[in-house]
Amino acid sequence: MDKKKILSVENLSIAFGGLKAVDNLSFSINEREIYGLIGPNGAGKTTVFNCITQFYRPNEGQVLFTKKDGEVLDLVGKKTHDIIKLGLVRTFQNVELIQELSLIDNLLIGAHIEFKTGIISQALRLRSAVKEETELRAKALGILEFLELKDKKDELASGQPYGVLKKIELGRTLMGHPKLIILDEPAAGLNDTETNKLADLIKLIRDQYKCSILLVEHDMRLVMDICDRICAINFGKKLAEGTPKEIQLNKEVQEAYLGKEE
Amino acid sequence: MKNMINSVYGKYILFGIALCLTPMLQSFGLISSATVTIFGTIIFYAIVGIGLNVLLGYSGLISLGTAGFMGLGAYISAYLTNDMKVPFIISLIVSVTIPLVIGLIIGLISLRIEGYYLAIATLGVAEIFRQVFIEFEVITGGFSGKSASYPKLFNLIQLDRALTFILMSVILVIIMILTNNFIHAPTGRALLTMRGSEAAAQAMGINLLKYKLIAFAVATLYAGLGGVLYVHFIRFAYPSTWSLTLSLQVLAIIVIGGMRTISGSIIGSFIVFGIPELVLKRLPVIGNIDGLSFIFTGILIITVVLFYPRGLVYFGSDIKKAIRSKKAADVSFKK
Repeated sequence: MDKKKILSVENLSIAFGGLKAVDNLSFSINEREIYGLIGPNGAGKTTVFNCITQFYRPNEGQVLFTKKDGEVLDLVGKKTHDIIKLGLVRTFQNVELIQELSLIDNLLIGAHIEFKTGIISQALRLRSAVKEETELRAKALGILEFLELKDKKDELASGQPYGVLKKIELGRTLMGHPKLIILDEPAAGLNDTETNKLADLIKLIRDQYKCSILLVEHDMRLVMDICDRICAINFGKKLAEGTPKEIQLNKEVQEAYLGKEE
Repeated sequence: MKNMINSVYGKYILFGIALCLTPMLQSFGLISSATVTIFGTIIFYAIVGIGLNVLLGYSGLISLGTAGFMGLGAYISAYLTNDMKVPFIISLIVSVTIPLVIGLIIGLISLRIEGYYLAIATLGVAEIFRQVFIEFEVITGGFSGKSASYPKLFNLIQLDRALTFILMSVILVIIMILTNNFIHAPTGRALLTMRGSEAAAQAMGINLLKYKLIAFAVATLYAGLGGVLYVHFIRFAYPSTWSLTLSLQVLAIIVIGGMRTISGSIIGSFIVFGIPELVLKRLPVIGNIDGLSFIFTGILIITVVLFYPRGLVYFGSDIKKAIRSKKAADVSFKK
């Protein structure tokens, strides 16, 4: 089967002081795939995320990303704020929304790179700035409709239930033209019903927006439910990679999570 | 007409027209000449306050150097118009550009230091300016101060006090409209995102350096503009004016008035620079206390921070809400 890779991490290593947080890790994600990264607490999952999105500079290895035009690019060394321009968007473990802004304005932040006008044309309300704002606002409204939050569009983000905030953060990633969305523990803090809805939403996003999704998650049910393939890591090293079934049956993964039988 | 009152621009313009009427009230003998001066003071500090509001309220960066940048604008413009005979408009442009450029340099520093350290660094810059104002007598007149005249537009129209006041009102309204526009646009949202979380801002493609520079540029540009208006309206500048106390008073404007609102800066400026002169000084006994305005501002800051942290700009709407909910409660009670 010849599937096109969207992201491949090759021999990634990063150390903080003497501690090797990620050690020679390699995995790759195909187009239109939902890929899970799992591991016990402190396994280095979030560090891998941060290395991919260039919040951290890895010591070794490559992060190869396939751009929209098919060109393959090594992300290592790129500026953090340039990553989203390539079509790689992330969310955060503890929702990073702007409390003082309405939900629709929060979505518009996700479209920041789509705005081409500068502060002067915005201050003077030149036609190009107004046009841009109207168009992207319409797009944001469409996404709110997709998330079934249209009636809340002008409410402030502060004081919204956690489930709504999580959805808005997901929606924010859709404002650019994402090719790969990276979700850091999307189900954390959600109850069972909300998690089920989230699972449906993630699949729907993949199908409607034709993108790949990489997620780090503790909620095993969600991971096993929606992921096409999973990579399990511990102490920064890869334990196993495969379909949810294969991972569940893997001895090493069981040991990492449940401990060794004496 | 109703549409005009309801739109933001309409409100700003009506406010500007009302301000422009102040000198006329004086010519009818309804208010004293000193009152007009106080209102003028409120106008240029409101402009400086709006700038600091963009910096502190939106981008979350702090500056205690506001007074220094005001002074810089004031002295440059006084020197250019008086000694060099440069036309007012050109002098205005030069006098706001120089503070802006220095503001950009401080913006670069702000990438390396944050919080208290940035406050101290900006304070240091302002103190350097103040020392320069004292020592650089050729331009600033040193301790004896520097005088300037009312602006002369296009080398033709010599403004008098009333017209200068109207010019300042017009500039204030323009500043309010322009600021309102870019604050409710991608720039404003990017600044707010940066304040909330630098990580999230970077992930959304917001260039931290660019937006920190923008925030500092706006703040120092408005401070420089405020300084230029100051020197051409008051027509005199002393080095002791541009001290830390003044920077703190501008900070008080936005804390008392309300962060992240443009009208808050106006209300704050009125309270900090208007109320002590217009009301308190006329009271018996209390009016004679030295440094009364500082005591007043200090007490007000504490009260607002403790009991009304969002700022007094929301006072009106909160009272309306309270009355409405009380009415609703009364109606349901009667049923």
